Amino acid sequence: MVGWQGVAAAIVLFGIGTLGLILRRDLVVKLLALGLVNSSVILALVSLRARPNLVPPLLDGPTPQALADPLPQGLVLSAIVINFAVLAVALVFVMRLVERYHTTDSTRLERRTHDEEES
Amino acid sequence: MACLCDVALIAQLCTVLRGGSCAVTFGEWGSGLGITFAIDITSLVFAALGLALSLAVTLYTWREDVRPASAALFHFLIGACYGISFTKDLFNAYVLFELVTVSSYLLVGTDRRPRQIWAGLRYLIFSSFGMSVFLLGIAVVYAHVGSLDLDVVAAAVSASAGASWVRLASALLVGGVAVKAGVFLFSLWLPLAHSQAPPAVSALLSGLVVKMGVVELYRLSAAFPIGFALTVLGVATAVLGIAYAVWASDLKKMLAFHTLSQIGYLLIGFGTGSEAARYGALDYAVAHGLFKALLFLAAGDAAAAVGSSRIDRLVEGRDQLGGATRAAIGLATLAILGVPPFAGYAAKAVLESGIASVPLRVCVFLISAGTAVSFAKLWPVVAGSPRGRTARPRAAAYAFLGTAVILFLPISRAMEPVSVWSATLHLPAMAEAFAASLLGTAGYRWIRRHAPRLPERIFFLEEGILAVLVGIFLIYALLGGS
Amino acid sequence: MTWRRAMPWAAVAVVAAFCGLVLSQFGLGQERASDAELWMRAAASLGARNVVSAIILGVRLLDTLVEVIVFTVAVLGVRYFLKIQEESTKAGEEIPESPLVAASSAILLPGILMLGAYVTVCGHLSPGGGFSGGAIAASALLLAAASLGAERVSARFAESRFERVEWGALAILLLVTLAPALLGRAVTTDLLPAGVRGNLASGGTILPYNVLISVKVFLGSWVIVHHFLRHRGEI
Repeated sequence: MVGWQGVAAAIVLFGIGTLGLILRRDLVVKLLALGLVNSSVILALVSLRARPNLVPPLLDGPTPQALADPLPQGLVLSAIVINFAVLAVALVFVMRLVERYHTTDSTRLERRTHDEEES
Repeated sequence: MACLCDVALIAQLCTVLRGGSCAVTFGEWGSGLGITFAIDITSLVFAALGLALSLAVTLYTWREDVRPASAALFHFLIGACYGISFTKDLFNAYVLFELVTVSSYLLVGTDRRPRQIWAGLRYLIFSSFGMSVFLLGIAVVYAHVGSLDLDVVAAAVSASAGASWVRLASALLVGGVAVKAGVFLFSLWLPLAHSQAPPAVSALLSGLVVKMGVVELYRLSAAFPIGFALTVLGVATAVLGIAYAVWASDLKKMLAFHTLSQIGYLLIGFGTGSEAARYGALDYAVAHGLFKALLFLAAGDAAAAVGSSRIDRLVEGRDQLGGATRAAIGLATLAILGVPPFAGYAAKAVLESGIASVPLRVCVFLISAGTAVSFAKLWPVVAGSPRGRTARPRAAAYAFLGTAVILFLPISRAMEPVSVWSATLHLPAMAEAFAASLLGTAGYRWIRRHAPRLPERIFFLEEGILAVLVGIFLIYALLGGS
Repeated sequence: MTWRRAMPWAAVAVVAAFCGLVLSQFGLGQERASDAELWMRAAASLGARNVVSAIILGVRLLDTLVEVIVFTVAVLGVRYFLKIQEESTKAGEEIPESPLVAASSAILLPGILMLGAYVTVCGHLSPGGGFSGGAIAASALLLAAASLGAERVSARFAESRFERVEWGALAILLLVTLAPALLGRAVTTDLLPAGVRGNLASGGTILPYNVLISVKVFLGSWVIVHHFLRHRGEI
């Protein structure tokens, strides 16, 4: 896959994830959509410099071809770990909310917390 | 113990970073490769603000049993804030922002109350989405520049001015950071999160964490041509923030909306770009951090004493407030109104002297008057005879921040060039400040009766995300107009 | 039409327009050619064969440190927010597993752990490193928890016992990075000799960093997985 195809796919996935984030009211699905958004950006970064003829960035390789750009790969590693951490904490928060309100529907949660504030 | 460690570690962190000022690039790699930290007046000012606020919060929570987990989170939060104020590397900023986000939303939910957890979760989803947009912007920049260092990026941008990717990249980067920076249309999570968090956390979030987004916007404005967009966003943020604050009935919520409106000043200052306006914005960032932290800490204390943070209940139960709490609220209110000689005036006057265009000056004057309108609600709380007591560590925290608010004028003048501030001690500037606050306070009675129905739905999660996307289009359009 | 009915359409329109904007303005196909040369030289000076690990643990070590801290904070959060339930609720019931899973996991376990260790230790020579190695090893524990039951694994591998190890790994990591400052060098400078490229003992501090990060990720992921396992079925 050449670079621009990957980036284009990533942007489409970003759109799908964003729509899921906006249109689906279930919090767990929302978090899945958020994961899709985050991963799509990672796909964009990785495929930015992908070319069919590049080899993995290892020195002393068997072929003296051009190495793939190593920096996006390093950045992506950080981004993956961070996304994992964010999703883990988000899921814990959802668990605590479900325990209290017995729903994962964001509109209902919004209303219930709002009503509590009024009373 | 935890608090002692707090102070020691914070001091240590600070010295480490100060020591790092000679070796600007981390590791010995040469610039363009390693991560670069910029040691300039901006970063030092924001780091100093971080130090002051962490001291105040430490004092405030002195005798309370802070859980070790929360203490650790405070460290990470403040350490990351130091990092953001210094870094000149885009991806490093992304990573540090994520650290700030993760630790601050854990802090928002630290009492494990369901409403706090809901506020924290919304904060998480918004800022994670915003950071994804930011990372997409980084991808665009990296594709065309091949480096993440803002100096290199600035050179590349000025070399290829007018290229389509410059406009897209700046819209994405600014939009992503604006979610964290308390800019209206982007930071619709902020009122709920800041009003639900425990007082010490609200003070840090409002005083320091939101400023980190502003620092990053400032750094971006050095590389990308976004000055005009920042100014427009600033005016919109200030006006809308005040519109919601005037009719807010909950004290902490009102303060949260005012965080938005005051961020507007900073954006106007940084967006205008003249030297005095830049100094003014820096001043205002510190001043706002100080008096907003004071307000949030005192408001939390008052709400705990009365049992509610609704303003009408606070007025009813004002006799239960401690004298120090009341004095703190009064002083901070005077400061936020911009009454001479307190911190708000000192900063606002420098900021206004740097703004050349007349419509913008009128805007700034109206924003000051609007601030006075919404704070007129608070005067009955301050009036009356104090009977309650304020816990001693909290009074110490108020005294510390209050002293800083009072002494802000001479201290800031000592650090700035005379040409910047000489205009601000003239009589018209002072008269203008007084006029704005008097006009606003007088206008309150009239305005209170005409409460419009402001849309509440935009603060929902779904509409908020939609608003972020719309906001990115807005920035994109503004970049074309400049 | 009310806002409630119009909102989905508005959302689709805005998102589609956003994707279109990004796609059309990205400037795809006009990217600057990459210069891997620069990074190759940096990796060569570190003595690492894997250029990516030379970047994340050498040139951009600061990012990696912050990222490890983010991970620590997440583990802290999971532990803190799920702790109070532990005493009050009974442990989640055992899920009966087929003997096939139990038998095959007993064979697979050592292999997975070995693979995790190998990927960690050879992170500077071949693709891999602390993060992936730690994650692989943690998946071994997940497999054990699935086949033997979370209770039995956590009894053998109690969380409280290695909480210190986890924080200790972070503390050593931070100390190693700050140590050059004591010698008057820039923070995060690599002090160990580069060694001969391709040997196990090469690449300066990359190997110790990888091991520390691997320990950290291994324990941290297990904490997260374990807490989620303990609370399964509560929603």
